[in-house]
Amino acid sequence: MTDYPKLLPEITPLHEPFWEALRQHEFKLQKCAGCGRFRYIPTEICQFCHSLDAEWTAVSGRGEIYTFTIVRRAPTPAYQEETPYAIVHVTLPEGVRVISTLVDCPVEDVRIGMPVELVYDDVTPDWTLFRFRPV
Amino acid sequence: MTTFSRAAVAGVYMTPQGDLSDRTPESVYMECVKGALEDAGLTLADVDGLIGPAPEGVGIRGSLPGGAFADLIGHPLKFHASSSIGASAQSAGIGLAAMAIAQGVCEVVVIPTVAAGRARGYAGADRNAAVAAMAKLGSPYEYIWGTTRVADYAVVAQRHMHEFGTTPEQLAEVAVAERYGATLNPLSYMGHRGEITIDDVLSSRMIADPLHLLDCCVVNQGGGCVVMARTERVRSLGRHAPVTLLGWGEGHGYLDPNHLTDLTDLYGGRVAADTAFGLAGVSRDDIDVAGISDHFTINVIIELENAGFCKRGEGGSFVEGGALKIGGRLPTNTGGGFLSCSHAASCGLFTLIEVVHQLRHEAGPRQVENARLGYVHGVGGVSHVQYGAILARD
Repeated sequence: MTDYPKLLPEITPLHEPFWEALRQHEFKLQKCAGCGRFRYIPTEICQFCHSLDAEWTAVSGRGEIYTFTIVRRAPTPAYQEETPYAIVHVTLPEGVRVISTLVDCPVEDVRIGMPVELVYDDVTPDWTLFRFRPV
Repeated sequence: MTTFSRAAVAGVYMTPQGDLSDRTPESVYMECVKGALEDAGLTLADVDGLIGPAPEGVGIRGSLPGGAFADLIGHPLKFHASSSIGASAQSAGIGLAAMAIAQGVCEVVVIPTVAAGRARGYAGADRNAAVAAMAKLGSPYEYIWGTTRVADYAVVAQRHMHEFGTTPEQLAEVAVAERYGATLNPLSYMGHRGEITIDDVLSSRMIADPLHLLDCCVVNQGGGCVVMARTERVRSLGRHAPVTLLGWGEGHGYLDPNHLTDLTDLYGGRVAADTAFGLAGVSRDDIDVAGISDHFTINVIIELENAGFCKRGEGGSFVEGGALKIGGRLPTNTGGGFLSCSHAASCGLFTLIEVVHQLRHEAGPRQVENARLGYVHGVGGVSHVQYGAILARD
């Protein structure tokens, strides 16, 4: 049990390598064995070449903000305590977008196109989340 | 005429939309079913088909709703189906019902939806519980970051503004036009509060930038029901002009926003609309009145684009100058929509009911003059899955 008051992922075995890598402070994506494209979130099949095979591959975690919002009305009291916070969709050079929050940045400064890098946040002994901060 | 148009809407009913926490969902459900049948000139003895849940959705009654409903009315059904188009699942039942009726599988299908009683989560009247429950409906695990349903669409709006120069004022146009319709709709949740202006929307508090409180749908309870039957039977019942389904299409587009090449192109809607217009053999210019899922103002703008009423990126300018108002270029959600009439239960049903009122020429002070063709666009999830329907006054 944990005292973490927010939501944690509910994952299937397919997703375990992704979260295990985060626990080790590594950011790994599936790289398709068929066509070399990256996948996120983890999937059973490549949506481009339909290959079932992929290799978990470490990537830099650098990217740029594709879109964002500033949450002022949060889903639960624990999240509300942190408002306002920025939800960001980040395009990675590997060709995928990932969603997380932006830290170390006043919310009024968030812009589309802003370069960001990934940081690790050990929220419980079992769970490490990733977030982004401005480069 | 298409195969679909062998089936028509025979009856509709809706309760006042608001707080029904003092009633049981089961009693509101049966009120709506009986009310829509009475509107049609039919009775429960005529019913042989059901779309969606039975009144009490617990245990096996939840998983076998056709049988559960048969228990209540005392005779077996010939047809049951459920759609999976989220908030539009019940209204999407007109497609399923029309196909079954047109093929002779069954004769009279009821399509109810209800949110009432002391339910928890998004069926309840408690706004905090509803917001928390709906946040978890987000895609696979982005809710862990503290996303909400508003945030899920706010990122879409932010990107649309960035790419196309869409403005907060243009978003507000949608809310203003719909509130006007709600003021003329005594069953709507927000109509009694009176009209709003663009400035009212922009000065309401920010929920998730760029969406303000008045860019968001209401949280309320309510019930409604639609009855479908063979078109010739509706004609001979003689209560109302039959409203037939002329064309139908679905688009099950994506779930994970990361899988969309472009977040402002929710292409499931395009697939749905193109199929529906293709089958109906009519063009966008022929449409007199529309009902477009409007959980947030941005939805209407993007769905108008995806459904082909304007080019991509031009939704903002399309809605300017009261274009969606009654009397405007494309009157849309004339009863108030999710923004000002009702966002209860499978709320797309209320969007559909309003278009039916318009095509029957029974919309009273909201009536769009000589409305003969309507377009209904329903979405589920964060516009993940969508349908398009062309409805015609017979």
